Amino acid sequence: MSQFTQQIILGLLLGGIYVAVALGFSLVWGILNIVNLAHGALVIVGAYITWLLFDRLHVDPFLSLPVDALALFVLGYALQRGVINRVIRAPLLFTFLLTFGINLVIVSLVLLIFTADFRSVTPSYSGNGLHLGSVTIPYIRLGGLAVALLLAGILWAILNRTRIGAAILAVGADRDAAQLVGIDLRHIYALTFAIGAAFAGVAGGIISTSQSITPTAGDPYTLQSFAVVILGGLGRVSATVVGGLAFGLIEVLGQSAPGLGSGYAGAIAFVVLVIVLVVRPRGLLGRLA
Amino acid sequence: MRGEKLGPCMVGLALLLAACGTSSTGNSPTSGSTLVFGAAVSLTGAQSKEGGLTKQGYDLWLDWINQRGGIVVNNVKHPVQIKYEDDQSDPNVSATLVQKLITSEKAQFILGPYGSAATATDAIIVERDGIPMVEANGAAQSIFNHGYKFTFGVLSPANKYLTGVLDMAATLSPKPTTIVMLSANDNFSLEVAKAVADYAPSKGMQVLVTKQYPAAALDVSSLVSQAKALNPDIVMNSGHLAEAININKAAKQLGLNAKIFAYSVGPSTPDFISALGPDANFVFDGSQWTPQVKYKPTFYLSVSDYVKAYEAKYNSSQPPDYHVAESTAACLAFQKAIENAGSLDPTKVRDALASLDVMTFFGQIKFDSRGINTFKPMVVEQIQSGTHYTVFPTDIANGRPQYPTPPWSSR
Repeated sequence: MSQFTQQIILGLLLGGIYVAVALGFSLVWGILNIVNLAHGALVIVGAYITWLLFDRLHVDPFLSLPVDALALFVLGYALQRGVINRVIRAPLLFTFLLTFGINLVIVSLVLLIFTADFRSVTPSYSGNGLHLGSVTIPYIRLGGLAVALLLAGILWAILNRTRIGAAILAVGADRDAAQLVGIDLRHIYALTFAIGAAFAGVAGGIISTSQSITPTAGDPYTLQSFAVVILGGLGRVSATVVGGLAFGLIEVLGQSAPGLGSGYAGAIAFVVLVIVLVVRPRGLLGRLA
Repeated sequence: MRGEKLGPCMVGLALLLAACGTSSTGNSPTSGSTLVFGAAVSLTGAQSKEGGLTKQGYDLWLDWINQRGGIVVNNVKHPVQIKYEDDQSDPNVSATLVQKLITSEKAQFILGPYGSAATATDAIIVERDGIPMVEANGAAQSIFNHGYKFTFGVLSPANKYLTGVLDMAATLSPKPTTIVMLSANDNFSLEVAKAVADYAPSKGMQVLVTKQYPAAALDVSSLVSQAKALNPDIVMNSGHLAEAININKAAKQLGLNAKIFAYSVGPSTPDFISALGPDANFVFDGSQWTPQVKYKPTFYLSVSDYVKAYEAKYNSSQPPDYHVAESTAACLAFQKAIENAGSLDPTKVRDALASLDVMTFFGQIKFDSRGINTFKPMVVEQIQSGTHYTVFPTDIANGRPQYPTPPWSSR
């Protein structure tokens, strides 16, 4: 039983990482209608900034998260304003091609700067955890989950409690009407993408503490963000949180399912995804389109 | 008239030839035809790094043998030439190039490519043409299960990768008895994992469970916590560098304390130590060869001279890794077999390879009936204070195993 509890906890902690990664992806998709294939690359850039600060200046990985956010915010704003904005009203295929290309460029640049060597951030307290009987909760992963939920809270507050957030939602709802009431479309687009990128950077910082990173390690996170958004539903912060936690749980429970090798964990997760799509096409918490 | 004039000339010519003959027979051998070796290695593409190391190993021997005038066959020295082709890291291209090397480049002997996949396709070509191939970079046993007669591998096969760790563990006190194996689900990793499960009972140990995960899995925390629940003495991973790092991190986070942590691939690379820092200490791995081994070779260079020769030729501050060493060993097997055969006939050289038994800087080279070297042990390394030490087999080691691994909380 305690083993089952342990798996549930690990699933939620893993889900926390998925929530952090998917928040920005979901925002950009929902508002800008761009499926950002470079999202995983942005995550990895954040991971490398955290690693660099930890390795060179011994900055605690959690303290470097605001730096990740700021750096990626600037990068995201520039990318959207300078490059992606040019195809914003083009057919979906163009944004796919463009973000795919941006992904390749970022990965290659990271490869040039940091080489293909494996890196990892291992602070001194990474072995510490909360021990409840035979159940262990590593503090560092608990910290990751807390940051993910904090990010979700911040995003919800931005969208629902600020004028900028209202403008972002307005653009998402109807961009022509938003422009008519005096919203600077290009600025809001760039701001939305920048917030998405900043969240990706923070997610990367969290990931660097629990996994090894290389320049090419970001691609799976793009795919997982996609799955999380489909599972949870588009257009709501709470949907991404539920989708991320659910996806983490499904994956971990798939790995520990008796009688099945964990080689099937990925397959189980995507079978659940397909079932959700069939039964509830808008996702667990998604709004009707 | 003409005949009378020609007569003395012929006598003179004969004397001259005889003189030449006398001067070069006796103790020092004559120079014979150049021996042509062919090798299709990956110089571009995904495996260009490893292919380049393979070529370095071949070239290191090539310089050495030609400085000595070549391979001696029946008192005739044959200089050696290696013709290279670039297989672009594609096994099918490799096979085509080996065919070209044999038919149009007239290669008499073939040195293996890099990787199990290319070795498997090349083996088909050399078998059909009856040309011996000695390979150094294909460890999958599947290559040797087809009954081929002309392919020989100098390296230890995949099933030996972690069994050396069990041999070592059996000598330790208190003796560890239970194993949890976390294995990636690719063919090579599963071959390594299965061999451990089959071999453990003979050492009085037991694999409690073998947990498979998809190759390049991002999160292994669930697997590690399942391993922890079983409280094994030994935690093993048969997989790749990324997962080895992730498993080690998760083991620390979740407080999985085993007496031995042993990973098949990963800890032998510098990346493992730089990524994990002090957490890399105490981890064991299996390696084909290390620069610290203490074999007593009967010919070619000693281990330390080999390392020096490598560092001088390639202007390197790093000692050669095992890819280089095993590639040189393939050349040595050919050299000894050709000398033993006393012939350049491919079939006679093949027979000499089959009965070869020599000690080199790389270890013993001797082939079983399938043609793979099951006689050389895998070396066990351990990371101690951020440095690799060879700890097993004891007679060639430069360090002693640090055992048991202390719990994470007191490292």
